[in-house]
Amino acid sequence: MFESSIDRIPDVFMKVPLVNFVLLATMLFVIGIVGVLIRKNAIIIFMSIELMLNAVNMLLIAFSSYKSDPNGQIFVFFIMAVAAAEVAVGLAIIVMIFRNIKTIDISILNKLRG
Amino acid sequence: MYPIIVFSVSGLLMLFLGLSVNKKSLLPYNLLFMLVGLASNFLDWNAPGLYFNGMLEISNPIILVQWVLIFAAILVSGISSRQFDDTHAYPAEYYAIMQFALVGALIMVSFQNLLMLFVGLEILSVGLYVLTGSDKRNLRGNEAAIKYFLMGSFATGIFLFGVAMFYGATGSFDISSGNSVANNLLEGKMFFWLGMVFIFIGLLFKISAAPFHFWTADVYQGAPTVFSAFMATIVKTAVIFALFRLAAYSFNLEYENWSKFLVIIIGLSMVIGNVTAVFQTNFKRVLAFSSISQAGFMLLSLIGLGAQSYGNLGFYSLSYALATISAFGVFLVISSNTIVEGRPSENINVFDGLFSRNPDLAIILLISMLSLAGIPLTSGFWSKFFVLNDAAAKGYFWILILGVLMSAVSLYYYFNPIRASFKKTDLGKIEISSLSKYTLYVCAALTILFGIAPNILRSLF
Amino acid sequence: MVSQFGFVLLFMIAGIFLVLLVLGIARILRPSRPNPEKNAIYESGEETEGTAHVSFNLRFYIVALIFILFDVELVLLFPWASVFGDKALFDDTKGVWAIYAGIEMFIFVFVLALGLVYAWKKGHLDWIKPSQEETNFKSPVPKELYKDINEKYA
Repeated sequence: MFESSIDRIPDVFMKVPLVNFVLLATMLFVIGIVGVLIRKNAIIIFMSIELMLNAVNMLLIAFSSYKSDPNGQIFVFFIMAVAAAEVAVGLAIIVMIFRNIKTIDISILNKLRG
Repeated sequence: MYPIIVFSVSGLLMLFLGLSVNKKSLLPYNLLFMLVGLASNFLDWNAPGLYFNGMLEISNPIILVQWVLIFAAILVSGISSRQFDDTHAYPAEYYAIMQFALVGALIMVSFQNLLMLFVGLEILSVGLYVLTGSDKRNLRGNEAAIKYFLMGSFATGIFLFGVAMFYGATGSFDISSGNSVANNLLEGKMFFWLGMVFIFIGLLFKISAAPFHFWTADVYQGAPTVFSAFMATIVKTAVIFALFRLAAYSFNLEYENWSKFLVIIIGLSMVIGNVTAVFQTNFKRVLAFSSISQAGFMLLSLIGLGAQSYGNLGFYSLSYALATISAFGVFLVISSNTIVEGRPSENINVFDGLFSRNPDLAIILLISMLSLAGIPLTSGFWSKFFVLNDAAAKGYFWILILGVLMSAVSLYYYFNPIRASFKKTDLGKIEISSLSKYTLYVCAALTILFGIAPNILRSLF
Repeated sequence: MVSQFGFVLLFMIAGIFLVLLVLGIARILRPSRPNPEKNAIYESGEETEGTAHVSFNLRFYIVALIFILFDVELVLLFPWASVFGDKALFDDTKGVWAIYAGIEMFIFVFVLALGLVYAWKKGHLDWIKPSQEETNFKSPVPKELYKDINEKYA
């Protein structure tokens, strides 16, 4: 019952068709895109971008399991590490803006015009 | 390969030098490191092959492109002299981030595995998000930084989705594995097409080609001018060569499918870039829209995709970098000496009477504008000629006609600053540091040299 | 026979059931005598004040940013760890593998540590104390009196 070890995991995955993973990842990805396009709060936009990246992570892991190829999972580690660096820079930019204008609503930022 | 290591180490050294060394002596250190990197690049000469377990490819043409990138970075550092003297600037960090970003750019032109492309793209982009917002008290800089950051990471997300789909179709991240998918079943083929489309869109965002260009003008305007020059030259060159590698190695069997769409994007970039630039009064915005149209021209070499295309693209990148950096350099000098309402003025009228104030700067501006517009006897003419010639060889004649037509439109806005510089004025001569002066001289001289004899560079590729 | 996903469902049902069971027993057994003191929000003995929706001090974010970077970069050690202990590779190379991979990891951690040193040197880890402002208020009580009392009961 519980002795099924780590190498059995691909079997479990196989019971769910690959297309389900692809559809779920695509849905999450589209939710992320829509979030980026319609929200005004910088933090929420930021979360939507993270959602997009995590959808990609899931897709990569699903493909990686189905192909029994570890490369996809290594890629996921890299995405996570790089996304953390991006988060740090992004939050730093948001903090910098908050210090200057005391809000993170990006519709206020319209100084740059032609 | 060696410059990647050199710049990784020298970036760290630069950071710690900033803690102990006087602010003004950092630029010489930066130039020294960059020259060391430039020299180390030639250790790889004539040693082609795959390095780091098939992650990076080194060959002579790639080394030349890396040379173009490092050289452009040296020129950008040259025009940055005296720009970071005020108390709120941290030149050590700026130069260190420039070197790290350069590492990303170098990886992007030599990757063999999509993992390296992703890492390179992110090193380059994350560095530039910081540099864009480096002027912390400037609201315009803040706005540019958040816009660039949000659009950039959005594009990265789209690009990564494409990479995941590519992996799903081919089972590998190696770029040359794309060709083996053609005989797969329908499902794999669909993944492959999706991956191709998303990878293209993500990278076209970064290069600011036409439907994905809306962030460009704001970011170029808001970022500190030195970093706008960095963005316009190095990012564009690195991303276009990444696209070229993908088009040549992974997607070349699908050429018939993507070239039809790409040529529409090119047409849009040329039209939108050139026509919008006509209505701009801010010089940085003019250069931003000009960079959109130049991105269109660069993409033409992907349509060409012949034996000569790589060299043509390299030539285009260098001549574009020389002209853009000299335009930004002249503008930087004059703008920081023309304070309007407490800020450096960015309007085109800062060039008023430049010829009587500083004739040398006016001539450099003239050469760079002529080169950007593609007038004969400058390198800009030959670069446009080569890429248009390439595209015409594939039968896309209408894009050739559109390209020539749009170059004629671009003459109008490129001549605005020149016209302004011949106005009469009673303003005095502008003092300019000798380093940026000689940098600008080098840019102008090379533009003319490659305009007269383009083959001395092109035959190297 | 339940599948592996069936076990997950069983765990969820059992979890919900156990929580409801424990809370239900407590509700039946305990006396119900509420008073304002008991209904107050527990805040470590402090009286609560104002709403919870306030901006925290920005300095928390700076520390959090530095933390998140060093925290998540360590995820890159997972793939390293999975090949470091590979016995076949160790035997094939007569132990050179372990030295090689170990040094690589140390370089990685060293670069991260350099980043931390830089942040430390630049003073981003220091908590900046707010400077005390002198008020214009003239107190009839001389300052020495306060000082004496403070020293007496120190």
